Amino acid sequence: MIHFHGVGKAYPTGIVALQGVTVRIDPGEFVFLVGPTGSGKSTFLKLIQRIERPTAGRVVVDGVDVGALPAAQIPFLRRRLGAVFQDFKLLPDRTVADNVAFALRVTGVDPLEIGPRVLWALETVGLADRADDLPVRLSGGEQQRVGIARAIATRPRVVLADEPTGNLDPEAAWEIMHLLSAINLRGTTMVVTTHNPMLVDILRRRVIELHAGRVVRDESRGLYQTAR
Amino acid sequence: MSPGVSTRPRADRATETRVLLPRRWTSGTRVVLADALGGLRRNALMVAAATTTITIALAVAGAGFLVSANLGHVAAILEGQVEIVGFLRGNLPAVQQQRVLAAVQGLPAVRSAEIVTRDEALRRLQRTFQAMASVNELLPSNPLPDSIEVRVTDARRVREVAEVLQRIEGVDEVVYGAPIVARLMALTRAVRIAGMVLAGLLAAAALLIIVNTIRLTIAARRQEIEIMTLVGATPGFVRGPFVVEGALQGAAAAVLAGGALCAGYLVLAGHASSALPFLPLVAPGAVLPQALALVWALGIAVGVGGSAIGLRRHLLS
Repeated sequence: MIHFHGVGKAYPTGIVALQGVTVRIDPGEFVFLVGPTGSGKSTFLKLIQRIERPTAGRVVVDGVDVGALPAAQIPFLRRRLGAVFQDFKLLPDRTVADNVAFALRVTGVDPLEIGPRVLWALETVGLADRADDLPVRLSGGEQQRVGIARAIATRPRVVLADEPTGNLDPEAAWEIMHLLSAINLRGTTMVVTTHNPMLVDILRRRVIELHAGRVVRDESRGLYQTAR
Repeated sequence: MSPGVSTRPRADRATETRVLLPRRWTSGTRVVLADALGGLRRNALMVAAATTTITIALAVAGAGFLVSANLGHVAAILEGQVEIVGFLRGNLPAVQQQRVLAAVQGLPAVRSAEIVTRDEALRRLQRTFQAMASVNELLPSNPLPDSIEVRVTDARRVREVAEVLQRIEGVDEVVYGAPIVARLMALTRAVRIAGMVLAGLLAAAALLIIVNTIRLTIAARRQEIEIMTLVGATPGFVRGPFVVEGALQGAAAAVLAGGALCAGYLVLAGHASSALPFLPLVAPGAVLPQALALVWALGIAVGVGGSAIGLRRHLLS
């Protein structure tokens, strides 16, 4: 599903975010990306979304060399990737349903399909009864669930979640991680960056650890930290 | 309830699905227009502030144009007063005088020409020096010659017409105040250039203000643009509603600025005609249509262009 072949990324400022990263993520996998701040986790996700281009190696997503993708094709790549953000990125002046529908409308989904898909996504995250509320009336955990509903409404094959529990209390964090796991069980590939050891240790999924831009660990049922 | 989506209790699934179909999610141009109107409604306060700024900027640019047009008008009036006087040979018969007149009137650079008889010239002299003793009493006879007074279509051609006039049979001496005309020409050129520079500067300032205003409104909605690009909206889809919004804002501001300019100019023209009769403004009917066209074109062009420029940075990132 996602292949990194000797990928390096150096920013024009001289900062080297990734170097020599070779990773293969298969369809339906759930992967935790861990490592200290600045280790290259966010850059890893940005390369998949083609927000950034690799300066060395190749990133292949679903058979497509993302780095070589013409600019006009980038939107179509992103439609196959759901994105969840630490700060939720909800539009505060639109209802929960409108926030989810927004992603469908701007990607040209048939208008007749939008209503049912919004309903399906909100039911999946357990927020169908809050459809008419504005985000400000929701708790942090609920807002993130709206973010997840928006990410899955386009029915992506991969969901990329960048610190999805970073702004949440432990209980809400656990709910979100549980929800992401449930979505993964339906076949969606999940790549999640996190600083939360408890969640990683409980779920025991594949863990890829980055340090100073290099993969220092890749375990199929790993813990947040290596058992030393 | 939100205008877009609503849900009913879970039990009523069929109804729920139907109700979820939003009225405004239609296809094509209507989507772009609906999005644009939605954007204007959601950001009403910012849109009002931006439209006010754009209105003022457009009104200033339009005022610059009106000032420039009037300076050009004043220059034209001054130039129109440039006159060539050709003194005719003494006792030139009336038939001969009419030939001279016809020859002069046939010149393309001549706007008007008339014969001034020596008697008429004397009467004018008397009118000019009414306060002084009667000229008749001082002079034994009328010393003034018959003359032809010529006005040209373009003050820059005064020398050329004077030279031709000098060569016509029956014309004795030609006077047109060459140094004064040269100075006047320099003055009117300076006035015209000053007018154009002023209008240009004001238009440029208006452009900068408008583009910057639109950029600010777009920057305030960068999260919306960011989400659009991250979920896979094409640049055209992102740009569409913003450009339509920009055009609508520009058009609204142009209507307001145009109204203000018309009202202001009509009032000013009314006052000026009584207070400064010697310096008439360009008739409103002759200058306001151009000013309105300029404001309208500038408003829409800058609305559309400003949105596209403002979005560029966000779309590139």
